[in-house]
Amino acid sequence: MPASRRSRRPRTTLLVLVLASVSIITLDARGGFHRITSGVRSVAADAFSPVRSAVDGVIEPVGNFLAGSVHYGAVRQQNQLLQQQIDHLKLEQRSQADAIERMKQLSAILGLPFVGNLQTVPAEVTNYGTSDFAATVDIGVGRNEGVQLNMPVVGAGGLVGQVVQANHGSATVRLITDGQSSVGVTFSPPPGSLAVLTGQGSGKPLAANLVPPNTPLTPGQVFTTSGLQGAIYPGGIPVATVRSARTGTNASQESVTLQPLADLTHLRYVAVILWTPPS
Amino acid sequence: MTARAAARMGLVFLLFLTVQQTVILDIRLGGVHPDIMILLPIVAGIVGGPGRGAVVGFVAGLVSDLFLPTPFGLSALVGCLLGFGVGAATVALDRTARWLPPLAALVGSALYELIYAVLGSVLGQPQMLHVDLARIVVLVAVTNAVLALPAMWLVAWALPQASTEGVPTSPVSSGVLR
Repeated sequence: MPASRRSRRPRTTLLVLVLASVSIITLDARGGFHRITSGVRSVAADAFSPVRSAVDGVIEPVGNFLAGSVHYGAVRQQNQLLQQQIDHLKLEQRSQADAIERMKQLSAILGLPFVGNLQTVPAEVTNYGTSDFAATVDIGVGRNEGVQLNMPVVGAGGLVGQVVQANHGSATVRLITDGQSSVGVTFSPPPGSLAVLTGQGSGKPLAANLVPPNTPLTPGQVFTTSGLQGAIYPGGIPVATVRSARTGTNASQESVTLQPLADLTHLRYVAVILWTPPS
Repeated sequence: MTARAAARMGLVFLLFLTVQQTVILDIRLGGVHPDIMILLPIVAGIVGGPGRGAVVGFVAGLVSDLFLPTPFGLSALVGCLLGFGVGAATVALDRTARWLPPLAALVGSALYELIYAVLGSVLGQPQMLHVDLARIVVLVAVTNAVLALPAMWLVAWALPQASTEGVPTSPVSSGVLR
């Protein structure tokens, strides 16, 4: 093959692949094709789920064994028994604390006062997000349990997020701290005030938009979902409390940061509200 | 690529994906986890040249996109660019040098994350530039540099060597001049 044609081949390959990628991204951004990609993602997640569980089942004991070996090598022979006992007690204490924490969260999930008559499905958080660029969690319930796309998810304290991917036995939830998340909220005083809370990224506070300048807000004041017509969340769910509020000179709106009420960094259990936004 | 090479490469993809989705996702420093899928186009670029680097990057990206909440196809786009770039940048270098894979992984991974965030932002995901990008870049680049040599062995086992694929060879390297 002539050298010039051979040298062009990788560039042609790259060009084709770039065009294919751009086409996929563009089509995915449009409604129709997004359903297909969402379906493919769902199939992939369902297919990979058993592999993930099996590997986790193998890795966990190996990890525990290795962690234990490190301890064993470090102690003298005469102290081994004592050290073992201490380790055992510490482990027991940690597991008890862990179990208590889990039970607290689960109890809180089972008696969420703000859910009212809406039906919920409790779920365990199985994974803390697959991307460093998005604030999401995976939960252990899916379409088999009645979970559908866009359903709200709550935790102990308040709103957690919204289902963005529903597979057969699992789902992905976009947290309210994610940059793509926005929540219509209401607060008072003044009574019936409305605002929109947007995420600023994982672990960061929420920002409030559309709050009129010099609105009297105090730290700890609670914002709840507005539930207005067409809203993506039902009304009355506590979302966040005011952390700071100030109005700059000539500012068109007050600069407000808020702390989510649900502890989004240590989520163990959540509840999916079986409610879909009106289309 | 022969059917045998494709089957071997499929096994490598599956291995990387399984490790990424199980072990790696549990390793978190400051909320950030490594991403070993990026290693595939980097080492494929070194082993197989720019063309194969681009193809491996595209496929690895598409596979990653199945499990990511970010725009579908974005990882494939950045992956094929990275695979081609690494292949083209290393074609004139001694690919058997032990320092090459870790260095390429360090620089390539950092560039990948930066381009990924910028392109994501351009494609309507502005929050991708508001994450702790420095931490992501450092963690992913360093982890991949450490894992580059084992990844290189695996991909070299799967992919046929094509050190001069698609690139005009110099008279010296082609053996014309001795």
